[in-house]
Amino acid sequence: MSCPIENRNSEMLVAYAASQLDPEAAGALERHLADCAACLSIAADQTAVWKALDAWEAPPVSPDFNRRLYRRIDQGMPISWWQRLTRPFLLMPLRQALPLTATAGLLLMAGLLLQHPVSFTRAAAPLNRVVRAEQVESTLDDLDLLRQFGAAASTESGHPDAM
Amino acid sequence: MPCSSFRSMLFRFGFAILLAAAVVAPAKSQREPDKSAQQLVDNSIDRWNRMSPEERERELAKLPPARARLIRQRIQRYNQMNPDEQQALRGRYQTFSQLPPDRQQIVRDRLREFRQLPVARRPVVHAEIEQLRLLQEAQRQARLNGDEFRARYSPQEQQIIRDLYTYLPN
Repeated sequence: MSCPIENRNSEMLVAYAASQLDPEAAGALERHLADCAACLSIAADQTAVWKALDAWEAPPVSPDFNRRLYRRIDQGMPISWWQRLTRPFLLMPLRQALPLTATAGLLLMAGLLLQHPVSFTRAAAPLNRVVRAEQVESTLDDLDLLRQFGAAASTESGHPDAM
Repeated sequence: MPCSSFRSMLFRFGFAILLAAAVVAPAKSQREPDKSAQQLVDNSIDRWNRMSPEERERELAKLPPARARLIRQRIQRYNQMNPDEQQALRGRYQTFSQLPPDRQQIVRDRLREFRQLPVARRPVVHAEIEQLRLLQEAQRQARLNGDEFRARYSPQEQQIIRDLYTYLPN
């Protein structure tokens, strides 16, 4: 068998320590370990790590751990109402907070759109700022006609002055 | 993954709301146009008034002096109109100016004919047009085709009434 360290296959040693190799591969590796001090050292260290992890037992978390923790934090330092409000979001992982924030932003935009609808039918702004006198005269003529027509409703003898 | 699908659903929900708002908002604004938006539409006199005095004089100088003087007087008279009256006139002109050019010309011709009617006939013809606007379509057609209508108005007045009712929105 070729040396796992020389072949940059140290995962094989890790798998051996975790007892994840099949018996045939494990037997071949054990024969190699008998001749290779470097591989034997790594395998021994890794086995020791696994054994230590197996032996360690995490103490159980009490059901009211969070509540007691927050109380102790509150007692330790005064926090503002804003910090109280945002604390659940600060503790939230970024991957969860981002979609929530984005959704809140979208809903806010929707609300603003409904409150202040954007007019997509604005009159086009005149490209040329200068108005020709003939154009003004023509508009005045039309305004005159419309004004005289409208004035007919209220004036019996209606003969409004021309503009 | 349940968490990932929840986030995806939440995001899609928010996006759907935004999309719905974007669709509904312009429709709402078109259904209920506010008066301030209508006031934004400028006519050529409004734009003329915004030009500098030098620009206005430069434009007027291209016309014969008597015509230029008359335009100055007419603009002055327009600018001195009662604000409510001017606002109403601007509204009527805006409606008129949004008509296609051929219809604008028809309305223009009929309004000129209207102006040539005897003074006593103008309020009568005007009232008839306003009356027609209040009727249902069937009643309107019956009235326009009735003997009373023909007897009451001359052929020219009938044409004025028909065209102004049809082409000049209220």
